[in-house]
Order: sequence, then C-alpha cells, then structure tokens
Amino acid sequence: MRAIYGIVVREALRFLRQRGRLVSSLARPFVWLLFAGAGFGAVFAGRDTIAYRAYMAPGLLGMVVMFGALLAALSTVTDRDAGVLRMVLVAPVRRSTIALGKALGATLLGTVQAVAVAAILLPAVGLWPRPAALLLGFTSIVLSSLALGALGLLLAASIRSLENFAGVMNFAVFPMLFLSGALYPIGHLGRLFRALAYGNPLAYGVDLLKHALLAAWAGAGYGGELPVPLDIAALLGFAAVALAAAAPLLAREGGVTRTAFRERV
Amino acid sequence: MTGAAIAASGLGKDFGPIRALDRLDLEVGAGEFFGFLGPNGAGKTTTLHLLATLLTPTRGRAWVAGHDIARASLEVRRNLGLVFQETTLDRDLTIEENLRFAARLWDLPRRRAEPRIDHLLGQWELGGRRRDPVRTLSGGMRRRVDIARGILHEPRVLFLDEPTAGLDPRARRALWDMIRALRQASRLTVFLTTHYVEEAEPCDRVAVLDQGRLVALGSPDELKRAAGVASLEDVFLARTGHALAAASAA
Repeated sequence: MRAIYGIVVREALRFLRQRGRLVSSLARPFVWLLFAGAGFGAVFAGRDTIAYRAYMAPGLLGMVVMFGALLAALSTVTDRDAGVLRMVLVAPVRRSTIALGKALGATLLGTVQAVAVAAILLPAVGLWPRPAALLLGFTSIVLSSLALGALGLLLAASIRSLENFAGVMNFAVFPMLFLSGALYPIGHLGRLFRALAYGNPLAYGVDLLKHALLAAWAGAGYGGELPVPLDIAALLGFAAVALAAAAPLLAREGGVTRTAFRERV
Repeated sequence: MTGAAIAASGLGKDFGPIRALDRLDLEVGAGEFFGFLGPNGAGKTTTLHLLATLLTPTRGRAWVAGHDIARASLEVRRNLGLVFQETTLDRDLTIEENLRFAARLWDLPRRRAEPRIDHLLGQWELGGRRRDPVRTLSGGMRRRVDIARGILHEPRVLFLDEPTAGLDPRARRALWDMIRALRQASRLTVFLTTHYVEEAEPCDRVAVLDQGRLVALGSPDELKRAAGVASLEDVFLARTGHALAAASAA
C-alpha cells in the first residue's frame, strides 16, 4: 500500500514540476474547441437542436484524459532511461503493485486535469449538468483515466526506446481520437469503422461522458450510444487486461541484457 | 542455509549462446567486505543482478541473507541495498523527495523514515541541499544520495556496482571514507564490484572473475602471495592473462 502511495505521490510531484505539460494539457482542449469547433460547427449548423460546441464537450474531456494518460506513460519510458525504474524494481514490491501504482498515478493526473478543464469548458459551452450527471461524468473520467493509463503503461513497457514510443504515440493518438465519438457519433460510421471504434477504450469513456452530459439530446442521437453498464465494464476490462499484461513486461527491465556481452559473442 | 550473507551454488546465467556466468560457487560471511573484480563483460554485474533478483538464473541457486533468490525474491530485496553503476535518482525531485519515495517503496513508516533521512543527510553533509533538485547536485553528491538511498532501509547486504565510476579522486576518497564509517557502525556486508584494482585492497576477500568464471578467490595478501606478485593488479594479470586497466577501458 505504502509503495503505491509513494509511486502516486512521485507522479504528482513530477507533474507539478513540469509547467509546460501542465499548461499545454489545460489549453489543448480549448484550442480544439476554438478551431475544430468553428470548422465542424459550420458544417453541422442548423441541422439539429444541439450546438456543435456542446456536442464536442465530452469528446474534449476524453481527449484530456487520453493525453494525460499517454504523457504519464511517457514518464515510465523516461524512468527507464533515467534508471529510476531499476531502483523501483529492486524494492521489495511486486511487479503487479508497481503497475497498479503507475496506473493509479495516471488516473489521478488524468482526473485532475479533466476536472479542471471541465470546470471551465462545461459552462463555456452552456452545459449545466445536475449532480447525478456530474457524478456519472466524474466516474467516467476516473475509469477512462484508469483504462488509458493502464494501456499507456502497457505500451511503455513493451516499447523500449523513447523515440519509438513518441512515434507510436503520434500514430495512435489521432485514430483513437477520431474513432472515439469525440467529434461525431459512432453510430453514423460504416460497419468497419464502428468495429474499430469498439476496440478503442476511449470510445467507451466518451460514450459514458455523453450519457452524463448529453442525455437531453439522446433522443436526437447525440447522447450515449451504448448501455452505461457496458461502458463501465469495457473500461474496467481494458484496465484489468492491460495491467495484467504490463506487469511481467516491467520485470524484464531490471537486469543486464545480452548487449552487455557484445565482446564475448 | 548457513549464516552466510551471500551464498551461491553452481549459479549461472546464459544469454542465448553467451555464458555470462558459468557456475559460481561462493560464500560471503556476514559483515564481510567482499570485492568482485573483473573486466567488462566478465559477468560481475550479471552476478549482482542475479543476487538482487533482477535476473533469473539459468542454473544453480543462491541465497541472500538466508533467502532463496528464486523462491523468496521479495524477502531478498527487503534485505539488500543495491547501488547501481548509474544513478537511479529522479533528477526532477529533491534529495528528500527521492529518499521519501524510496522509503515508501521499502515500506518504512514515516516515523521511522524521517529520522533516518535526517540522520543520513546530516552525517554526509547533504542536509543543506535536501530541498534542491537532484539535477543541481555534483556527481559526488549524487552518488552519496544514491548510497543513502541504498541503505535507507538498513539492509543486511549492500551491493555496490562500480560505485566510483565517473567520480573525481576527491569524491572517490570521500565515498570510501563513508563506506568505511558505515561498516564500522554496523555489521553491514558489502559486496563491491570494481575494475579499479586499488579499490579492492581494503577488502577482506577478493574474487576475480573472467569470462564468467571465478579464477581467483582469497584475501588480497593471499592472492598476491600465491601469485608471487606485489599488487592485485599483477594478480589480475597473472590470473586472466590480460591487464585489468586495458580491459576496463572498453
């Protein structure tokens, strides 16, 4: 328990020290709201009862969570480069505990960022959810952060170099975003893309957020598209599988490898 | 097992076709200062990582503080401190934040950890810098924090992997003074790997490893006498057929 607490505290301290990361994570959704909102909103205009900017809100919160989780995963990659991961691995702590600690660190950071953004974003787009909806929205943010944090950890544990990780991240971010229902309803997509979307953990998080924030427009097809219990189960499922897969991968980081013996080959 | 701090029996590790460590039989007594010498690629760090449970052995068994490295890895890790070749501190955190992080990983309650941190930092003249980020420290200071981190939980065995690599002579000397003081204060077993032969002179016993095999074992004096030479450097030369300095330059 104390080890998990220690890992989470460290992630939080690091986050607070990185001003740039703090500012960009808070500003990014508003940049999207401004530019993507202006463009897509114009195409969308007059079609229905919901303003496009309000429609985007759940997706933008999902985006905050996604970037938060991926950047937290990046810290696992830099930990390896800096040697910190080794120190953690030589502590009397199970690999699964380390993985859980890391994922909970990502959950905390993702949640704090998304809540901070929501406090400005929701009033700005004219959404005033009731307490029950806020609670569901909060749950969704926590579960999405956990699922994406765990997935990010798995990615970080399986990709060994920083450059590679950045490359994969760049490649993964946009398909994940576009196939999440953040910018348009998944139900409007063709069968193939719909299938891809349902393999995307962010889609369940955004869907749950839509249940929370866009319930009033559910009749017009802009609310959540999947049952709430399914969203929750999917997010927990992604988290559990990713954590279980990441734990043994973390363990192989500790010791010397065959590259230390180049001269003996 | 016996009361040995470290014991290995036929311990070995292969990386594919490479025999990093062949079959090591070794016993290090409690409180002993043990030196492990050898050129790069000899298998020193592999041995250390096997004993620290960071690697799983291909063959053989080993015990640290009486615990089997394969079957009781958590117990082994609880009883050992390991200072790696490269620093493992978080450069963005302060000295005290780094030590608190380690204290939590080693499950030390705050009421035990805080006085211990105060004590170590005071003793090693780091107290004035405790709220400074590690990235602002000199190499010698960082190393001291690394070692403080390694012994924070009062381990029974301390592994030092090339602890003076990259340090200037003054910092190196300060480090050895520190380690001597540590050993005097407790019955800490110190297992040192190095390729600076002169650093192994104060060791109680020295093992020389070459190509994954133990080629010499004994006190520095015994080894010199047996080889009929004047220095450990010459012992090394005689046992491995190549000079340590040249080998370690790679």
